[in-house]
Amino acid sequence: MLEIVAQAVINGLLIGGIYALVSIGVTLIFGVVKIVNFAQGEFVMIGMYITYFLGTQFGMDPVLSLVISMPVLFVIGMLVQHFLIRRVLGLNDLPQIFLTFALSLLILNVALMVLTPNYRTLHTSYSDAALHFGGLYVPVAKLIAFGVAMLLSAVLWLFLRSTDLGKAMRAASQNREVAQLMGINPHRVFAVALGIALALAGAAGSLLMPFYPAYPMVGQVFVLMAFVAVVLGTLGNVVGALVASLLMGIAESLGIQFIGADSGLIVVFLLLLATLALRPSGLAAGRAS
Amino acid sequence: MSLGGRRGAVAAIVVVLVAVLPLMVKSSFALDILIRILLFAFIGTAWNLLGGYAKQFSLGHAAFFGLGAYTSSLLEVNYGISPWLGMLAGGFVALLASLPIGWLCFRLRGPYFTIATIATAQVLMLIFLKFRDFAWGAEGTTMPNLGDAPLMMQFDGKAAYYYVALGLLLVSLGVTAWIERSRAGYYLVALGEDQDAAEAVGIDVPRMKRDILMLSAFLTAMAGTFYVQYIYFIDPNTAFNFSISIEAALVSIVGGVGTLFGPLIGTVLLETTAALLQSWLGNQAGVQVTVYSVILMAVILWRPTGITGYALELYARRRAKA
Repeated sequence: MLEIVAQAVINGLLIGGIYALVSIGVTLIFGVVKIVNFAQGEFVMIGMYITYFLGTQFGMDPVLSLVISMPVLFVIGMLVQHFLIRRVLGLNDLPQIFLTFALSLLILNVALMVLTPNYRTLHTSYSDAALHFGGLYVPVAKLIAFGVAMLLSAVLWLFLRSTDLGKAMRAASQNREVAQLMGINPHRVFAVALGIALALAGAAGSLLMPFYPAYPMVGQVFVLMAFVAVVLGTLGNVVGALVASLLMGIAESLGIQFIGADSGLIVVFLLLLATLALRPSGLAAGRAS
Repeated sequence: MSLGGRRGAVAAIVVVLVAVLPLMVKSSFALDILIRILLFAFIGTAWNLLGGYAKQFSLGHAAFFGLGAYTSSLLEVNYGISPWLGMLAGGFVALLASLPIGWLCFRLRGPYFTIATIATAQVLMLIFLKFRDFAWGAEGTTMPNLGDAPLMMQFDGKAAYYYVALGLLLVSLGVTAWIERSRAGYYLVALGEDQDAAEAVGIDVPRMKRDILMLSAFLTAMAGTFYVQYIYFIDPNTAFNFSISIEAALVSIVGGVGTLFGPLIGTVLLETTAALLQSWLGNQAGVQVTVYSVILMAVILWRPTGITGYALELYARRRAKA
């Protein structure tokens, strides 16, 4: 019994690392630009297809393909900020919500047309490998994904703490007007925030590829998870989103283990609704990011 | 002719045209499109009460649609109760469900309200998928085919369904027009503009939101019952499909949120486009929503008040010139 729980916790924690990359991106954009990016999941999908393409065409390893998927998505992020999001900043909720929602629908359905709904998998030498600790086993591909995800999160955290641009970003997220008065160019900061957030989504996609199939709708699961994690971890709080993502991975995994294969999402949504009922401002409310 | 007389004449022509349309349109494909237009205009008008006037942008109206669909279907299949009664029962079930849903979701504002509504609709779909002894599970069920049974909301030809959908749409338009002119209508618009300011001038914002959600849920559930009766089939994926929530919002935004005829105009545009695409390209996956999303993006970036808002602007400009 204890072993089953421990195994479920391990599985959940590992996938939670991927959720963390997606939710950190969502919370970063929300914190800095004050926009919820409904299309974040679709950028995970794009990252997956980039890695799939590089893997099948050039035999590139998924982890190595990060050096391509992340910069590509960084540039896409800056373009999305420059050509789309910039135009709805300062407007009311409707354009702010439905612009990225429309973008999500657009990317998803273009992918359906161009790439077909077929599942695509990329098999690597370590896709089926696992480490054994007593009765527990740890799949290598997921362990790598988790490790890289935590590394990227740590790098981002250091970037936000210690670089001028990172500090400018945090300043802009705390008070846009004052930050502007201090000489921070908001559009540059916003573009970099979008770039980083999308690069993280792309990284999540690349890291998923050895053990998760790519298909046009794949992003929806991840974006829903990310939204829940971002609410749970208090809006705009990067560390909160990280911790909440890991917890949600574990909750989902326990749900699958004890309630049934298709109930992972129910558990996560119930978690969201329970959070709203009990602590609507999130678990880390009141603490600074 | 005076302006009022001309308006009356135009209105009379429109009414006659709409009333005799199914007698002239014999193609089943075309009639199906007309029924879809009326149905989604009805759903959009129901959504518009909450999303358009109160500016609470739900993407979870499939929850109410599905509850309406399941209530009338369970009543009909298990107890032989007429869907006409089931439709009202479904409305009340959705209305009651909207209380806890609203209690939870209204704790959040703006985009996070939207996300919470998505989650509630998804939870309902997953519940209906998961608990199979409750309502047929993932396989769903077909409605008993009773032939021509108007009392059980089943008809021989499609024309009758057209009139039922038309009736529903007229009800929702009537309700909207009535609210627009009432004190509550002004309260809704005020809270849609600025919740805090509305609260400061003494509007009971939580109560207004709760009430308009109840009404919107009731109407949306009626659409669910109608849809199941029309396609003779129900399963969780049909009843709680995310695309219903999306289209409800889309037709209103494209047509013009917070206007009486906005959702109807948006539906005519989007559904006609979809039908043309379908006859041109066949049923290729993704085409329809790709076009929808491009239209939505264009409206948001260039005409955020929708078609109706743009038309009113043009009209005002012309009058200012004259």
